[in-house]
Amino acid sequence: MKLSLRLGPADLAKYPFLDEASNYIRETTFAIDEFDRPDMDHIVRRAVNRLETEISTGKVYTNLERYEVEILTFIVTLLLVKTLDLEPVTRKYSLLEAIRAEKFLTDDLIREKSFSKKKLLLYKVFEDLFSIKIDASSDTNLLKLRVPDYLIRATKMNEQEWKLINRSVDLGYVYLDADEAVRLIRSELSNLIYKRIKIMRVQSIPTTIRISANKLRKSFAIYSTFNKHYPVRDYPPCIKHALMLMNKGENLPHSARLMLATYMLGIGKHTDEIVNMFHNAPDYNEKITRYQVEHLAGNKGSRIIYSVPSCKKLQAEDLCFATTACEGIYNPIQFGRASKGVVNEH
Amino acid sequence: MSTNTNVLNVSFLQDLFRRYYYNDSNIIPTPRSIEKHEFGYTLFNSAMIRHLSFANRGELIAKLVKEAPLDVFCSNSYYSFPMNSLQTKGWQGADLIFDIDLKDLNTPCASKHSFYVCNACGACYTSSVTLCSSCSESNFSSTSIPCNRCLLSLKTETRRLIEFLKRDLGILDENIEIFFSGNAGYHIHIDDPLFRELDSSSRADIVDYISGNGLLIDSLGVRKFKNGFQVKYPKSGILFGWRKRIAVDLGFNQVQVSKLTKIVESNGGYNGFKEKVTSTARSLGIRIDPQVTRDVHRIFRLASSINGKSSLIKAKVEDLESFNPFNSACMLGDEQVYIKSKVKVKIELKGRIFRIRDTVERLPAFVAAYLISKKLADFVK
Repeated sequence: MKLSLRLGPADLAKYPFLDEASNYIRETTFAIDEFDRPDMDHIVRRAVNRLETEISTGKVYTNLERYEVEILTFIVTLLLVKTLDLEPVTRKYSLLEAIRAEKFLTDDLIREKSFSKKKLLLYKVFEDLFSIKIDASSDTNLLKLRVPDYLIRATKMNEQEWKLINRSVDLGYVYLDADEAVRLIRSELSNLIYKRIKIMRVQSIPTTIRISANKLRKSFAIYSTFNKHYPVRDYPPCIKHALMLMNKGENLPHSARLMLATYMLGIGKHTDEIVNMFHNAPDYNEKITRYQVEHLAGNKGSRIIYSVPSCKKLQAEDLCFATTACEGIYNPIQFGRASKGVVNEH
Repeated sequence: MSTNTNVLNVSFLQDLFRRYYYNDSNIIPTPRSIEKHEFGYTLFNSAMIRHLSFANRGELIAKLVKEAPLDVFCSNSYYSFPMNSLQTKGWQGADLIFDIDLKDLNTPCASKHSFYVCNACGACYTSSVTLCSSCSESNFSSTSIPCNRCLLSLKTETRRLIEFLKRDLGILDENIEIFFSGNAGYHIHIDDPLFRELDSSSRADIVDYISGNGLLIDSLGVRKFKNGFQVKYPKSGILFGWRKRIAVDLGFNQVQVSKLTKIVESNGGYNGFKEKVTSTARSLGIRIDPQVTRDVHRIFRLASSINGKSSLIKAKVEDLESFNPFNSACMLGDEQVYIKSKVKVKIELKGRIFRIRDTVERLPAFVAAYLISKKLADFVK
């Protein structure tokens, strides 16, 4: 796709993760140790404030400054997170940063009058960053993307409204509002920022940033202890794998969370203990998690007691990591008990 | 069934199957990127052998001729190491496949052409029984000879599925392949790289879409409001997909909100309308086997291979309207053999009608093979 238009400075302020923002830094030949300059102090303070707001309150930092300030703040924030090197902080920051960009992008797509500018934004964020072909309709204000591109992302959402059947689908395209389309890429955007932090190689962290990071470390102390490494005992390999990912603070898909919770309920774990297992999830919310676990236990909502998905279902969902110890079982709940004959798959 | 009878049946069928794979292997298409597929087969009277791989077509055909298996399967998935265990195969993607099976259509005539065969002695019954009168065993298999009405129902369901695939999912005609399963169903293969990379969850979502499962009335614009409901159409409208399907069926449109409001009220409000929409969606949806489409590690009957349950082949359908499985999928030889049929039955194969009596009959091999595979006859000589 050839685009003669370019994003303006105001766009770079909102989307500092775009290549154009990196180019801006390159063009200005700004060196990283310049953050130690006294006139950079407000940038560092702003970055600290942003991290404190996001990590401590779980709320998105909505304050928006001119683009030079925003781009530099973004870089300092990344450096702070990198220096802190606390996995839950990195995950949470990445997610909240994605939600921040999501908010700006939704507003831009709704308010932007120029059709070509709207298309440029879509191209830069969806196609350039994530190879998703997305198009805008000039008359309906709707966005459309191909069914497979939609499914890959929508199936990660837990709410039923994201099921394909509840969408406007025609001739291979799913039609979405701006906010729905942008919500779809939240997880990818979060991963993009997370990876940027992980692959960052900095020769030496500027002194001011190092000092600020050390101060933040004290207020984020809870995150170094909250990284509860849940004891992985003699669980079936599928459960061990899910716990391992959870311990790393990774965002488990809905199907894996369901497997983990129903299994733990099945072996008689208490709701409190199961809720705690999900503590490291970047989107953890105790109230919601508790409701969901109680729902699966049959204590809330439909009152149906959910059973552990079968090995066959887990295989189909790519959640099975069977070893020879799994031979003869057809449900993870049977792991370690007597074998009941091999099931043939075809 | 005596061991001797079983040996004779197996020997007759295996010889016919081997001759088919030897003489007619040219009609077996080479699976795309054959070296990336997992193969499997079942031999007569033996368990399934899986995790096989063939570097080329020649190797595959040689194996089929050598083993003359009862059934042959090939994965819809592409793997880096197809011979490895499931976890280490290196999944690269899978063709999207749908299965329409007669048993899921619940045709009213099913009981009229179903038979129940005792797994111990082979005795055959025309209605369901709990105890075999010959040997007192209680383990039965059911078998069926689909009638024309059943075959038409299968075609109608297949046609409706293809309409969904084209109209909603945008799959092009040239990327859709239809196969008669070889027994009582159709397999619809989608050869579209865009859909190949979808994981099991995405495929499950497609299954729900096609089956009409999980439709929220909120997506039609009907929302719970205080103690009642309110209608406010979604921004993306109700002109496409399931929204349109339900609107057309229940008689409302995007212009008149009042019409939908009346329909909701006439169904007893929010909950009543929800039930109405759920049942309408189920009836408009397609009855596919959900597990077949969802599973990305399944192995499917190989195209043009013989189905051991019928001795018919999994035949490619070029034109669904004119396709007759009892002609196009019947590929075995026509030398005369003697069988002892357990039932009186009329069947039509290769354009000829056969009225079978429950005695020893002299019949072409393809008819004998069909009845023996259905467990409705035993080979004599």
